[in-house]
Amino acid sequence: MSALLKVESLRVEIAARTRILTAIDEVSFEISEGEILGVVGESGAGKSVTGTAVLGLLEKPAYQAGGRILFGGQRIDTLGEDALRTLRGKEIAAVFQDPLTSLDPLMTIGDQLVETIQTHLPLKAGEALERAGQLLAEVGIPAPRERLRSYPHELSGGMRQRVVLALAFCCEPRLIIADEPTTALDVSIQAQILDLLRRMCRERGTAVMLVTHDMGVIAEATDRVAVMYAGRIVEIGPTATLLVGASHPYTRGLMASIPDMRRREVELTQIPGSMPRPDAPVSGCAFHPRCSIAEARCSVERPDDVVIGPSRVACWFAGDTSRSVAR
Amino acid sequence: MGFVLGRLGQTVLVLLVAAFVSFSLFRYVGDPVNNMVGQTASLADREAMRAALGLDDPFVIQFFRFVGHALQGDFGISYRYGQPVSALIAERFPATLELALISMLIATGLGVPLGVWTALHRGHWLSQLLLAASLIGVALPTFLIGIALILTFSVWLGWLPSFGRGQVVSFGWWSTGLLSWSGIRALVLPSVTLGVFQLALIMRLARAEMLEVMRADFIRFARARGLRPRAIEYRHALRNTLVPVVTMIGLQFGNVFAFSIIVETVFQWPGLGLLVIQAIQFADVPLLAAYLVLIALCFALINLAVDLLYVAIDPRVKAAGLVGRAA
Amino acid sequence: MSLTGVRHTAAEWWQSDIAYRFRRSPIAILAALVGLALLAAALGADALAPYDAFDPAAANAADARLPPGSEGLFGDYYLLGTDPQGRDMLSAMLFGLRTSLLVGLASVMAAGVAGVLLGLVAGYFGGILDAIIMRAADVQLSFPAILIALLIDGVTRTVLPAELHQELAVPILVAAIAASFWVQYARTVRGLVLVERGREYVLAARVTGVSTARILLSHILPNTMGPVLVIATINLALAILTESTLSFLGVGLPPTQPSLGSLVRIGNEFVFSGDWWISALPGLLLVMLSLSVNIFGDWLRDALNPKLAT
Repeated sequence: MSALLKVESLRVEIAARTRILTAIDEVSFEISEGEILGVVGESGAGKSVTGTAVLGLLEKPAYQAGGRILFGGQRIDTLGEDALRTLRGKEIAAVFQDPLTSLDPLMTIGDQLVETIQTHLPLKAGEALERAGQLLAEVGIPAPRERLRSYPHELSGGMRQRVVLALAFCCEPRLIIADEPTTALDVSIQAQILDLLRRMCRERGTAVMLVTHDMGVIAEATDRVAVMYAGRIVEIGPTATLLVGASHPYTRGLMASIPDMRRREVELTQIPGSMPRPDAPVSGCAFHPRCSIAEARCSVERPDDVVIGPSRVACWFAGDTSRSVAR
Repeated sequence: MGFVLGRLGQTVLVLLVAAFVSFSLFRYVGDPVNNMVGQTASLADREAMRAALGLDDPFVIQFFRFVGHALQGDFGISYRYGQPVSALIAERFPATLELALISMLIATGLGVPLGVWTALHRGHWLSQLLLAASLIGVALPTFLIGIALILTFSVWLGWLPSFGRGQVVSFGWWSTGLLSWSGIRALVLPSVTLGVFQLALIMRLARAEMLEVMRADFIRFARARGLRPRAIEYRHALRNTLVPVVTMIGLQFGNVFAFSIIVETVFQWPGLGLLVIQAIQFADVPLLAAYLVLIALCFALINLAVDLLYVAIDPRVKAAGLVGRAA
Repeated sequence: MSLTGVRHTAAEWWQSDIAYRFRRSPIAILAALVGLALLAAALGADALAPYDAFDPAAANAADARLPPGSEGLFGDYYLLGTDPQGRDMLSAMLFGLRTSLLVGLASVMAAGVAGVLLGLVAGYFGGILDAIIMRAADVQLSFPAILIALLIDGVTRTVLPAELHQELAVPILVAAIAASFWVQYARTVRGLVLVERGREYVLAARVTGVSTARILLSHILPNTMGPVLVIATINLALAILTESTLSFLGVGLPPTQPSLGSLVRIGNEFVFSGDWWISALPGLLLVMLSLSVNIFGDWLRDALNPKLAT
């Protein structure tokens, strides 16, 4: 599989009042055609910032300070706003966290679908409306034709997120950046939306960058996972591999926090301490103050990436099986 | 409907309070009999007058009689002019309404576009200049603006008249200055004077609302959908900005009526404001009482109109009114 | 240190965010300096004014309406000219400034105290008391401040005999302005109290048996002071404008008690004869006062509310 999205050494900074903070540092990853990459981490780890940077929607005071973003082999982080705009919504679509606030409250969902379709595709109003109706049917909204005339507030939260999905899929994008798409929803609806997203992507071969802090979502829906901590990717690899044998102590901690039905007796592990904020960075490996296997060098030197099988890990002790077992 | 009914209840309450204050003023400030028959009337005459006026009846009956008369537009005779108050008010009302309407037209027509423009071009030097100018516009007392304009355009340049309405054309009891050249010329300085504060206020509010809306999630999502900047700014952001701005403009209309008192004094504009200022200076109680009720009525009507407008432009309010606060 | 930790030393204050923002804003510094200079001029009017603006003997009818920089018949020098009664403009303006500032400050204080207390009561006790206060606020808010002040002044004028009204002009004016500005404080404080009421330190104080009045005054009140200060600054400008407007309309202060507004009113009659300075100079002083307070208030609001800062 060829790389659809390629992010190389991405660095995002935030210009604060007196100094410059680093939000994202040396982040590199790829997403292949049709692949679902999960990006996981605590809030503030830089997941959403990464997604926003890919969409080219970073806003002051945040800005891209280094690295490259390639889409379909073409550099997109240097594109002008106009070229980027024709890409957004057409090739790269987005789904945001809160369906309540994602839609314009004063416009019918039909109009919002039609305006998106007509912005990117050469369709007449009637054809666009037809397509809008089909999309609503596809995302599982009952009586789709009548619903076209509804305003967002007339729909439930789950229905609204289905509309947001319809908006994301309306121009057949090749990549969707889904930023916590189920977090704001009722637990009972989360699974439905996640399932819908995965099914539609599989049917169309759409790739997804699925940003979440929910390890359950990762385990359920993704092909590969990137684990972020304090603005860096600490481990990236196939979901199956990471679930069973993660190399980074932070990933292991996260994995252990997934409640597992089969091993009910295992208690939920909580990693003590909290992640360093961008305004108070930590020297060496950012995880060392909370790490159970950290040694002196971890607080001084930042670990390089190590390739282990299909995974890539940033830990001094990656591959040292004696340590990874000793938990 | 609950929304509208609730507002209607409040409107009636405001009107009753105004009527009560007005009645108390009318009934207990000075001796109405004295004011009507003069100091020289005999005791028998006074008693007859008291009975005829119903001043010996219980308070509640007197109050309702007052309200009954007020509903028919009967507020008695002005102490100062010796004419029915209702006739005086009807004669002066068109001048004030015309002045208020024109100045509000100026303030809205310039204030909203300027506010939106300054919000969209925050860094622009002209935007900074306009913002500073608007702060001055809010800080300047209206009467000084009027004097400065008279000094400049009437006294020094001699371009425009500084007092009166010019030539008016009458249609029955309604008179308008809009149909003659001198009437229009006479309207320029007063309406600009009255409009400056409102213009600055509306501009600042429109700017603040627009900035707030531009930060909203649905604007970010609209950008992620790849919509053209023009569509985002005018179709989505502007429409959402206008909802609160329209409400504010409607409510400001009442303020314009109040401020017309100042402008009418400066420009000797023969409207209600000039009438009421003289009523206050000469303790013309019936006129004051009538003005109080009239102004309360105006405010009530404006509030009601704004509420109805709100229902018309915001689909959310309509729904909330129909299904209650279920969601 | 108090439980809520709102007290700071001067050094801490200098290091604080707000002081930092102030030092970085030349426009705010300028506005504050102009405002303080005007306050000093107003307080020192007795010492600064070359003539006594209240003493009819000091006015000289022969020197009426002299332009700025004139010399009077008896060798008096009038830096800013004279008014129609031959009063020295500079002196009249200094005393007028004092009246305007004092009325403004007094009415802001009266409105602030009344509004904050009503807001505390409404927010803390809720129920019927809350409903009545807030309904009154709603009704009041649907009328413009200037109209309420005008009507209160008008009503007292009709109720009281003329001499008594003139004697009580200042307190009546203060009350009339205060009556139209209390709502904003009450609403803001009530909203803040509703938030603070549920906070742990308040619950803790209540559990340990601290009296209600004490909880309100020493625990909740300090936390509402920031927003109240912003409202007070902006309202000070509004109150000064309202006073000057009422005095200009001839319903505020009597002519014997010059305020900037009534000075402009006196001069207004002579605008057409080209004697611009009689109304323009006090008007200019009023604009300086209003602008400096407004700009400072605007800055303070932005500084205390970083979300709105651009």
